[in-house]
Amino acid sequence: MIGDARDGSASASERRVHLRFEDGAARDIEVAPGELILDAALRQHVPLIHQCRSGSCGTCVARLVDGTVEMLRDRALSLMPYEIAEGRRLTCSARALSDSTLALDYPGTLIFGGDPHKAPHRSTLAATVRTIEWPVESIARLVLELDRDSEFSFHSGQYARLRIPGTDQWRSYSMATTARDLPAMEFFVRFIAGGAMSEYLRTRARLGDTIEIEGPLGAFILRPGAAPHIFVAGGTGLAPILSMIDALRRQPGRRPPILLCFGSGGEATLFARDELELRQWWMPSLEVRLSAGRVDSPSSGILKGTPIDALREDDAHDPASAAYVCGPPGMIEAARRRLAAIGVAPERIYVEQFRPSIIGDPAIAYASTERSIGVKVER
Amino acid sequence: MVANNPASKLPPISRQYAPYIEADWGFKNTWYPALFSNELAEGGLKGVSIGGHDIALRRARGRAWALADRCAHRGVKLSARPKCLTDETVTCWYHGFTYGLEDGILKTIVASPNDPLIGKVRIRTYPVVERAGIIFVFVGDEEYAPAPALEADLPIHIEDDANAVPHILDDNVYVRGIHRTGNSNWRLAVENGFDPGHLLIHWDNQIVAATDRKLGLGVEPITEDAIKVVDVPDGPKGIMNMYNLRAYKFIMENPAVGLKARGKKPYYARTSTYLPGVLLVEHWPIPGWAQYEWYVPLDDKRHEYWEVLVGRCRDEDERREADYLYDHFFEPLALKDFNDNDLFAREAMQDFYQRRDGWNNETLCAFDKAVIVWRKVAARFNRGIQEPPVYANSR
Repeated sequence: MIGDARDGSASASERRVHLRFEDGAARDIEVAPGELILDAALRQHVPLIHQCRSGSCGTCVARLVDGTVEMLRDRALSLMPYEIAEGRRLTCSARALSDSTLALDYPGTLIFGGDPHKAPHRSTLAATVRTIEWPVESIARLVLELDRDSEFSFHSGQYARLRIPGTDQWRSYSMATTARDLPAMEFFVRFIAGGAMSEYLRTRARLGDTIEIEGPLGAFILRPGAAPHIFVAGGTGLAPILSMIDALRRQPGRRPPILLCFGSGGEATLFARDELELRQWWMPSLEVRLSAGRVDSPSSGILKGTPIDALREDDAHDPASAAYVCGPPGMIEAARRRLAAIGVAPERIYVEQFRPSIIGDPAIAYASTERSIGVKVER
Repeated sequence: MVANNPASKLPPISRQYAPYIEADWGFKNTWYPALFSNELAEGGLKGVSIGGHDIALRRARGRAWALADRCAHRGVKLSARPKCLTDETVTCWYHGFTYGLEDGILKTIVASPNDPLIGKVRIRTYPVVERAGIIFVFVGDEEYAPAPALEADLPIHIEDDANAVPHILDDNVYVRGIHRTGNSNWRLAVENGFDPGHLLIHWDNQIVAATDRKLGLGVEPITEDAIKVVDVPDGPKGIMNMYNLRAYKFIMENPAVGLKARGKKPYYARTSTYLPGVLLVEHWPIPGWAQYEWYVPLDDKRHEYWEVLVGRCRDEDERREADYLYDHFFEPLALKDFNDNDLFAREAMQDFYQRRDGWNNETLCAFDKAVIVWRKVAARFNRGIQEPPVYANSR
């Protein structure tokens, strides 16, 4: 090797990057000069979780522990300046300027197997539309049934990409049901005028249609443990959290205390309230607080404000508490700050952002919760 | 908007107790009776199966121990051919794998005393409590520790009766009974136990005829307080049929079929049922006595039916008298003749619930309110649902 590996200068030698996973597993990879860290990892059979490969979805985020890792300058990235200052790096858009250590916030078993639930193998399958209904005006509930003999499994919190029939467009949605419910899979789709999936559901969809599914995807998964759980969900961000709550009900050992703060813009868009009531009956240790920006019926018990406002000072009195947040980007940061302020350890705050469907299109409001990763219409 | 939406698969009402419907193999993380004390002699080893857990029970130095009934080596049941060589261990009859009773750890292998496996392998253990002449085992996840008190999974002490029946854990009680296998799912057995409308099957039973009791044709809940929910913090959870209140109407005749309650002595026995599925019948077979029943899931198609009678006995004379009553009256007329009809009824339901989706196709009537309340209470207060055992090579 030429040059001092730690002087941060751009030398013409390979850098060694030490990848450390949440469960203590680790891998070392060699990153060539100018090579993106994710590419190097994939090349050396370390399948780091990623999706868009363009710096937008945030899935491939890692935390720089040691060394120098520089982000590409010619890409718009989804990291905020303060996140970069805190050490976060998107491995799909980063180069190593010196030997470095990066920490991933998911267990190595998720990608290397050995997990009793087996790292689910990613595949493309066909599923049939069994139910389309509109529990509230702007949100569709879609239930698909995987074809018989499909081999598919997932961890609660993961998502799948669905191909809109008759198009080459794919959209990503979190499973609201658990692997135990397979072959049934339930999704919630926020209706967006002009959105590809929304228009399909509104005008063309028929029961019995076939939809291709790719997955499972994502690192936003439920970690094992009996510590109290705090869930913060905004809009259709409730979907992966519903899956997690159902998984908690069936996990071995004692059920932990669970708090769910679920919010939406208007009271009328709080969907799945009956499902949440059922869960509250089945699980005495589950507390649900509903929030809405606009509350029409004051006696309903719905709190005015955001689901973050609904958090209280003593909700995380147990220092081992874990928090899971899912919703629009603005909500994520506010939730992270508030959770840390009430005492949740930062490394136990897990987040998943829902991003707008067409990247860079200013016409799509930031509050959109239909998510698509790296979609470019094929020409 | 495209109109489409067949109703979801589960009808609305049964969704409320969906966890109960999921529990084909029973509830876990709960206490179940495994054997009567006098079924496990000192030095003995016996196997039972509860909710798919094969459990080996061993009595050593007077105390009962429970371990997994499967040798870690080649998977044979330890209880298949009992071989107990020391007071602190159990030895597998095949190659001599020997496990500690307290921790399940492999202490030696008779055929290979220097084997590197020793100390590195273990089979799981289960908490055991022996009370009132019954060996109870806490069956569920190893990580669910510590186990709650046995009292939490037993009926409550009765406080609202001047002549209250004794509790099985009281001092100076006589406890005696039988257990046998029933060919129905455990839930059908539980529900048959307290179901207020099934008196018709007991119409002509020997104990009814011999005691000339006017049991009635059925009991119908008519007010809100007919079915009481029992929810003791860290204690028993269940439901009680408040036959003693004016909340129930006793049906004494049905002119449409020309049937009238026979017998001269009006009699009712209040029933209550508690998680994981244990019944208390007060003042049965005679006033002052209680009948306890358990319906321990063996698998998804069978249960072990326990019938245990509890009465007050303060001295040897009273015990001898109780023995006489038990041998010549209680066991033949109540535990066998009377309850044989219940076993018959449960087995008659099994096909419908197992193969014809009975949970979603039943047609319940007025007195089944008690059954619905039980299902909801069970869905809420259970400590977990037993998974079916996973067999490698099967889907």
